[in-house]
Amino acid sequence: MSDMPPAPTSADGPEPSVPVSDTATNSATNPATDTVTDSSTGQGSEQGTGRYLYAVCRRLPPGALQGVHGLSGEPLELVEHGDLVAVVSTVPLASFGEDALRRNLEDLSWLESVVRGHDDVVQAVAAHGPVAPMRLATICFDDDAVRARLRQWAVDLGYVLDRVTGSAEWSVKLLELAPQAEALEEAEAPASGAEYLRRRKAAVEQRAASSASAADVADDIHATLACRAKASRQLPPQDPRLSGLSGTMVLNAAYLVPDVDAAEFTAALDELRGRYPSLLIDARGPWPPYSFAMLGQP
Amino acid sequence: MTEQQTGDVPSARPYYQPPSLTGRPQPANLADILERVLDKGIIIAGDIRVNLLDIELLTIKLRLLVVSVDKAEEMGIDWWKHDPMLTVRERGLDEENRELRERLAQLEGTPDDEEGGQDEGDGSARGRQSAGSRSRGDA
Repeated sequence: MSDMPPAPTSADGPEPSVPVSDTATNSATNPATDTVTDSSTGQGSEQGTGRYLYAVCRRLPPGALQGVHGLSGEPLELVEHGDLVAVVSTVPLASFGEDALRRNLEDLSWLESVVRGHDDVVQAVAAHGPVAPMRLATICFDDDAVRARLRQWAVDLGYVLDRVTGSAEWSVKLLELAPQAEALEEAEAPASGAEYLRRRKAAVEQRAASSASAADVADDIHATLACRAKASRQLPPQDPRLSGLSGTMVLNAAYLVPDVDAAEFTAALDELRGRYPSLLIDARGPWPPYSFAMLGQP
Repeated sequence: MTEQQTGDVPSARPYYQPPSLTGRPQPANLADILERVLDKGIIIAGDIRVNLLDIELLTIKLRLLVVSVDKAEEMGIDWWKHDPMLTVRERGLDEENRELRERLAQLEGTPDDEEGGQDEGDGSARGRQSAGSRSRGDA
């Protein structure tokens, strides 16, 4: 790859971006290779390149992200301001410009590759300390613009990093398999349309009743786990075709768990599985604290 | 329908898959990762203006699939196709129940007239049934 990332062109940027690995010879600080020196070339058009922000963290140890690549295999680079570090890489605006994004975001396979690439970088950063993950497709024209965001949001970003320091996110889902409703569906064919609808009604009511009790169980499980976490959030249920989990998702929650309490948290999960053997408790972690990294939170 | 006996698995539903093992860290499933990278994380406006509404619509579409495919669609209810702004939480089983009762009442009351909107079958369906309007999709 001979693509050169864009370099800061103005002299007021206090710190140039630095390549992450020693082997990255195409340093972003080389103005001779700049392809987007004039910001107007990239503005609103689908030409040129942008700088994709994955996450903000505090200073990383040298070589921390060695071997990790950004989207499309581009090298990761760091843009610094004060003690804040933005992890960025170059993306082509042909794919990440405004019009292109509008199209691409509706393409689930494109979206999947980008979200996985984004998450790979965030996970790698998280391995070295607190991380504030950016939402998908946060893109600036150049490093100066990235630095300006760090300057503008320095206080809030610092707060987010403080808040998640020493903690990780755990995802917990509770699934009910609802065998009764299925058994009813397997019965012999209805004699009439009205009979069919009566059966449907009975099945739905049965499902509603079991969901009510499942909701109580979900409340109990959520309360048990939430009191072992620094923070918790309940999320909407997921599409079974995306999650690979069958059954009715009656709880989908995220917990911010201090690392020192992680063993206690997983022990609580085991205890809950023993208490509710008929339900599937799907727990995954640790995640970077996506669900708990928000600006302006008290 | 004649089915060949290919084993001792009695007519497993084609989309059913055994739940994965739990309790240990696993590679992220697509739902988990979309939920986080697309819907969570820090929002800072970059130079490329991403239409967040587009993204929200996408996630809402994904959420709607949860209720639509397995439940609503099999009952012939397609409100979710018309009103993408409704969330899962706003459309719970209660509403599904009510919708079903309405359809049942209509079918039993006026089998040849779908627009009838009579309500004799189930008292609990009253209240929604007015002026022959049973669709919430374009409310």
